[in-house]
This record gives sequence, C-alpha cells and structure tokens, in this order.
Amino acid sequence: MKAGFADGKPAGSLLEELGRRQLLVVTGKGGVGKSVVAATLGRLLAQSGRRVLLLEVDPRESLHQLLGVDPSGGEVVEAGGGLSLQNLPPRHVLDDVVREHLRLAPLVRRVLASPVYHHFVDGAPGLKELAVLGHVQRLVRGWGGRRRGHTDLVVLDAPATGHSVSLLAAPRVTVGVIPHGPFGHMATELAELVADPVRCGVVAVTLAEEMPVQETIELLDLLRGRLSRDPQLVVVNGLYPRLAPRRQGASRQNGAGLAIRRRRVNDAELARLREHWRGPLAELPMLPLDRGRGLVSALAPLLEAALARTVEGRP
Amino acid sequence: MRRSLLVVVGSGGVGKTTLAAAIGLASARRGHDTLVMTFDPSLRLKDSLGVGDEARAQEVEVAAGTRGRLCASLLDARQTFDRLVQRYAPDPAARDRILANRFYDHLSGSLAGVLEYMAVERLFEVAREGRYDRVVLDTPPTRQALDFLEAPQRIVDFLDSGALRIALKPWFDEHGRLRGASRLGLIGRNIEAFLDRIVGLELLRDMAEFFQAFGPLYEGFRTRAAEVQSLLRAPGTSFILVAGPGEEHVPDTMFFARKLGEAGLRLGPVVVNRVHPKELGSVDGEDEAARLLRWLAERDRRGLAALRSLLSGRHRLVEVPLLPEEPADFASLDDLAGRLDVLLDGSAA
Repeated sequence: MKAGFADGKPAGSLLEELGRRQLLVVTGKGGVGKSVVAATLGRLLAQSGRRVLLLEVDPRESLHQLLGVDPSGGEVVEAGGGLSLQNLPPRHVLDDVVREHLRLAPLVRRVLASPVYHHFVDGAPGLKELAVLGHVQRLVRGWGGRRRGHTDLVVLDAPATGHSVSLLAAPRVTVGVIPHGPFGHMATELAELVADPVRCGVVAVTLAEEMPVQETIELLDLLRGRLSRDPQLVVVNGLYPRLAPRRQGASRQNGAGLAIRRRRVNDAELARLREHWRGPLAELPMLPLDRGRGLVSALAPLLEAALARTVEGRP
Repeated sequence: MRRSLLVVVGSGGVGKTTLAAAIGLASARRGHDTLVMTFDPSLRLKDSLGVGDEARAQEVEVAAGTRGRLCASLLDARQTFDRLVQRYAPDPAARDRILANRFYDHLSGSLAGVLEYMAVERLFEVAREGRYDRVVLDTPPTRQALDFLEAPQRIVDFLDSGALRIALKPWFDEHGRLRGASRLGLIGRNIEAFLDRIVGLELLRDMAEFFQAFGPLYEGFRTRAAEVQSLLRAPGTSFILVAGPGEEHVPDTMFFARKLGEAGLRLGPVVVNRVHPKELGSVDGEDEAARLLRWLAERDRRGLAALRSLLSGRHRLVEVPLLPEEPADFASLDDLAGRLDVLLDGSAA
C-alpha cells in the first residue's frame, strides 16, 4: 500500500492519481527547481485531459517564462492544451475580499489605503496563506463568475519563503485563534481540505544534496506530525549524470572527477531520503537547457516515465 | 581598531550559511575575535563547528585553533522575543501576562518578519556589548531576504501608523463586554454581535489584552528599531551578496543589489558560489553526460560574464568553484576560508 492512496480506487498510473485531486501543492526550498517541476506537472496533467490552473503566488512573476506566455498580472492566461496560469500575490486576494465585503467604493478605497489595514495584512499570522487556499477553493468550486467550471485542478507553486509546511498548517493555526464566525468557518473548511489526501495532494521537490534532503525529511515529519498525512510524491530534481566507467579512469585530469563525486553525493543523499520515504519518488536529471519553455517540454516525458516506473514499484 | 559587521545576503539555497561560517573562520585566522550568527546550518556544519542547541541561548566558542577567537550562535526568534519581553516589561506581572497570552504565542511563532526582526535585535545586543572585532551575520533563507532588513522599519511604521492607538484603547470593560457597546444601546449590541460573528470576541479580547500588556514596551522597541537602522548603515557595516551560478540567477542577484542600494545599505563584494569550473568544458565525448558537463561550464561562464558587465566594476566579484562536496568538515571550511579571505580586505577591524 502506497502512502496517501486512501481513496480505495484501484491504482491507475500515478499521474491519474494526482490528476483526480482538486489541489496539488508543490513545495520545496528556493533553488531546487520547484517552479520548473510545478510547470512540468501542470503540463502533463493537462495533457492527460484535466483542465489545470497553475497558480503562482510570488509577487515576482516567473512561471510564465516556463510556459512561454505573457506575464499574468493577476489575470488567468491560457497556456494552451488545457493549461492556464495565474499569478496572484496573497495581498491581491485579500484586497478582493475587502472589495467583496464592503462593496461601497469610497469605503474600499479608504480601507485599502489605510496603514492599519496594511499592518494587519502583513502581521496577522497565517492570513496570507489562508487567502491563497481560500482562492484555490473558490476556483475548484467554480465560484468567481465567468471562471465557473473552467478548472478541475489547481497546481499551486507554493511560496519558497518560510517552511513549506506553514502554508498547509495555516488553516489550523487560524482555527486555533479564530474558532467561530465566517473566518473561523472558512479556516475549518480549508484545514479539512489540506488534511484530506483525496482532495489535496502534496508534491515535495528536492535536490539530492544534504540541506535540501534534510529539509525534505523535516517536511515529511511535519506533515505527519501536524497534518497527519504524507505527500503523494517526492521529486528529486537536478541529478548529475552517471559517467560511463571508461571515463572514470581518466577523470582526474579532465575535470569529470568533479561530476563523478557530485553524483556520488546525489546517490548517498537519495539513499538517505529513501530511508525516510518509501512512497512514490521520481528522479529527474539535470538537463543542458536554460530555464524556459524548452526545459519544461524536455522534462515532461522524463517525469511521465518516472511516474510510470514509480507505480510499478521500481523507483 | 574599528569594529566591523558583515551581513551575508542572497536568495535561498545559494549557500549563505556555509560561506558565512567560512568568512568567520577567515576573520579569526587574521587574529580578529569573530562571532558568526546563523539561522539554520546543516547538521554536519553544526557538528564540525561543535555548535549544538545550547548556541540558541548564548554564543559558543568554536575550537578552531585560530589566532582570534571564533564564536558561533544560532538565532531563535521565540527565545529572543521572550528575552526582550523580560527586559522591557515594567514588572513581573506584566511580563507573565504577555508571555501567557494566546495571541503572543501565535505572534511570536508565526508572525511574518518576527524572525527577521529578532535577528536584527539580537545582532544589536551583540554589537552593543562589543565583545567581538567582527560579527558575520547570516540571513534567513527566504527569497525576499530583504524582509530582514526592512523588519525594524516595519516595526517603527507600525508604531507610527495609528494601529497602535486603536489597539491600545481599552476596548473591553471588566466584564469582558465591548466597552461603549452598552452605552450605544441597540446599535452597540449589534456591533458587538457583528464582531463576534466575524472573528469572535474571544480573539479581540486576546488581542486587546496583548496590546495593552505590551504598551509599556513600545517605547523601548521604537528606540531600538531606530538604533538598529543606524547600525545597518554605520561605516563599519557592509553587505556581502551571495549569488548562485549561471545566467538564470543574474536577475535575482541584480534585484538584491538594487534593493540594497535603494535602502541606503552598503554593498561590498558579490560572491558567485558553486561555479562549475572551466575544466568541465574539456570533458570529451558525445554522450549526454559529457554534453551536460560542457554546457554547465559554459552556462556558468555566461552567468559570470553577464554579472560582471552589469556590476561594471562597482563591486568586487569573487568566484567560488563548485566543490566535490558541500564543505562541512574543518579542513574544507578552512580551504574555503582561504578563498574568501579577500572579502575582508576592504572591511574594518
């Protein structure tokens, strides 16, 4: 039994399993290629027939470069093949909430311009995270007017700031502080969403290096400890190539020795990760391609193959 | 001898912590008493520095055999915050009220910017005590790492914004009812019911109590934030920007450089870390592995060239090659320290 497959359905491919969810949260520390993996996964899921929205919450947009489309600027941008993209900094989501609740334009302007509001938004624990998750929930439920029914699945490129579990733990923190009222109610619902492996999947991205692996192991512990759940998939990105044995002898003089030793570190860290994670794990190689659309296109079939291998039990 | 402060900044995952440790080692080798303040070192790095959890409470001396003393400390937001409350609270009762407040509990653990603010706070304590010739400060692993530098200003802004005046109003009477609500009659009761429905009066009560208990501390915070601001801009302070290799990291690096400039902070050298060495370019063969290695070497040359032209000689560019393993033991840290010694040339102490 693989961790997280709690919906009792016969196991299809892992890609299908992931595609059945409403929300996939792609987490990972800065520099591990989290956004590239999120874009690649979004592309693959869209190819399998799901209507996928890639959601970016970083105020500095970069996902559009990976899909070869214009920056979103807050709007939904079609990226072709059933995939669309939206960049939505948490701040905008909260501003929208204010607009919706206050309705009167002069009042909205006053609130949005007020320093008290700014400090509240900056300071309130978990509020931004809650806003992002709330937005996701509205998307998959088809709220928000003309976007009704246009998204089966949201792939969230989670912010690299803070510990990746803080986004997922935010609803619980909020329920602790605000148990009642509409906010408390919304937080309760969202806490249920992120704790439910049938509706919400977690994909952890890492490099096979000491610190990223350490942080992934900590993430696994935190997910289990605080949310009583596992991720659906761990993606190990950017592996150095294995050099052919004949080159290993000549390695010292031509610099390939460095690559051989880096790969050795990769293998040791993969083994360490494996001791803590027996569930689905996909390995992706480093590719000689600049960050961009071409990289996502080249990684897509590799990720698809890695996911297929995972389910057959030969990771 | 003038004291110096080096702040190591850069995006997450570029290797700031290891470099900060190596810079500290280089400094101590020069004979300067040095403190390295760090957030989240790897287990191996902690082991080789001999720094355990006790370093959260106080500085720990590293047995490095250097001419100058080398000490290390780990930054812990909650502990620093608690200490601050203990110092500024007017009496033990006020202190206990704050420490036991539910809102404080959430605030100190999860409030955005608290870790950053507390780092600066702790830094200031250390700087004021003046026990070190040089302090090397690692910064938190975030993409918006300048949050850290803006944290003191955010606190001052908050104090000036009026949010405080509102929060400090005694909102609740001794029965835990919203003050003024009863005087306003029906409308007042409606307001109370409305607030209760939206966020729950319990939370408001907690918040009000927290802000009131915190009231006497504000002046201390405010003074301190201003002092920290001037410490970050003092003549002995400079920033070392750590960048990842390759062209794709260049925009991030320039973003940091620009932000530092806008904030009036002095950027010293830029360190490009984990550069794939030129020799990889001479790996022969037409298989995928060989092509990748040649590409990596070429990609990192491109990155360096782009950065060099953008920085146009205004900042020293120091290149640190990718090492076979991330330096964590003493020998490899020492080796790295040798490479980074040049970073200390322009620095005081």
